[in-house]
Amino acid sequence: MNNNWTNHINGYVRVRIDGDYPERFLNRCLEEDISIWQIKRAGDRRIVCYMDVEDAKRIRPLLRITGCKVTFLQRTGFPFLFRRMINRSGFIAGLAAFLTLMFVLSNMVWNVEIKGASPQVEHELRQVVTNMGIKRGAFHFTLPSVERIQRDVTEMVQGATWVGVRQKGTTFEFEVVEQQLPEEAERHSPRHLVATKKAIIHKIFVEHGQAEVKPNDFVRKGDRLVSGYIGKKDAEDEEKELVPAQAVVLGEIWYKSEASVPLETLFTTVTGEKKSKHFLSVYGFDIPIWGFGKVTFDTFQETDHERPFHLFRWSLPFTYKRSDFFETSQYERSYTKNEAIRAARERARIDLKKHIPSDAEIIGEKVLHEDVENGKVNLRIHYQVIEDITSEQPIIQGD
Amino acid sequence: MKKMRQQMKNWMTKQMQLPADVMMDLPRITMIGQLHIYIENHRGVLQFSNQELRLLLKQGQLLIKGDNFVIKTILPEELLLEGRIDQVLYLDERRT
Repeated sequence: MNNNWTNHINGYVRVRIDGDYPERFLNRCLEEDISIWQIKRAGDRRIVCYMDVEDAKRIRPLLRITGCKVTFLQRTGFPFLFRRMINRSGFIAGLAAFLTLMFVLSNMVWNVEIKGASPQVEHELRQVVTNMGIKRGAFHFTLPSVERIQRDVTEMVQGATWVGVRQKGTTFEFEVVEQQLPEEAERHSPRHLVATKKAIIHKIFVEHGQAEVKPNDFVRKGDRLVSGYIGKKDAEDEEKELVPAQAVVLGEIWYKSEASVPLETLFTTVTGEKKSKHFLSVYGFDIPIWGFGKVTFDTFQETDHERPFHLFRWSLPFTYKRSDFFETSQYERSYTKNEAIRAARERARIDLKKHIPSDAEIIGEKVLHEDVENGKVNLRIHYQVIEDITSEQPIIQGD
Repeated sequence: MKKMRQQMKNWMTKQMQLPADVMMDLPRITMIGQLHIYIENHRGVLQFSNQELRLLLKQGQLLIKGDNFVIKTILPEELLLEGRIDQVLYLDERRT
């Protein structure tokens, strides 16, 4: 059938045909393969029918042959609808304004939600976040990325251990995990304490259990320091009472570390001069929108930031991109041999501190060997460190 | 000669049980009550009004009488008429 919805795409017209013998016109139309439908006799010399817009353009010669006159009564379908729409400029302006407004508003922050925070932490977080520019009415593409916000906020808010940041459409969600101090001491099961490292016992203080070593004893890794069995010395293990051993055993441990420092080093630093370029990238193609001209710095580093635009839940194919060019300069640092040795010792100490527990104490430091080779100072240093060497070994009772 | 061929066709259609409308270019008319009439193998519209539709056939004419006629679809060889159909007449004026 002809009168289905596909006709609406191309559009069709209602036509009145006047003539002495309009049937002739119908037959001509059949010959020319012009499709017409819903033909009605409307009067003595008049028929009314529908035809496609494309076909309506081709009927002029047929009309001349058959001596008929045509009048268009009604225009239906998308092309006519579209033309009428264009003519109503207010409608188009409204549509455009709506889309623009929707686009602008959906790229704004509308809400900042904070979950799981106590009032003071929430207040603090709100202040930090507002200072970063995350507040109602801020545009998403002016804000740093979510990962960055998360990192900065976690650093800046004192009362929170971790702050999770999520962007849910126009809402920023902050999930706060607050610092909590353990409330109760853990309950221990019966255990021994053993050495974690090869060490010389420096000091031993037992709270529970039976000490099995004395100061200045040498212990290897895994040696028992404090026993969980308490009772008479000569009694069998089975007869003794079992307790969770608890003690502080400080041992002296020797560490050896190596450090090398070059005498001359080339550094690159950022001078603070900066130039930004802004782009609108469409499918990976960058269209500059602000910040023209060449970068005049001799040496520079470039960093790119990209922020996608959103409409409702979807990302649009264009993104806002900012390239920052930081001017850099280089300078050379040169050490004398003594300076280099001092720097190497400092570095070795810092290195060592990373590897030992924070409450450990360095009581001695001796340079074993030093030489200068290929413009580098190499050092081997020996450290004496006092640290806690206890580790727990549960006592598993037989069945 | 033409008559011979016509007779031949007629005979073949009968003997070989072929559909008559295909072999002999006869109209195939489908009617749905009085509401629709569907005509295949017509040769053009001779006259059309609210009460009457006269179609040209290969041989003779077809006259349909009724009321409120609307041609729903018209294609080079097909036609669908809607309305109240009262009569279907063959006007057999054999042109030889």
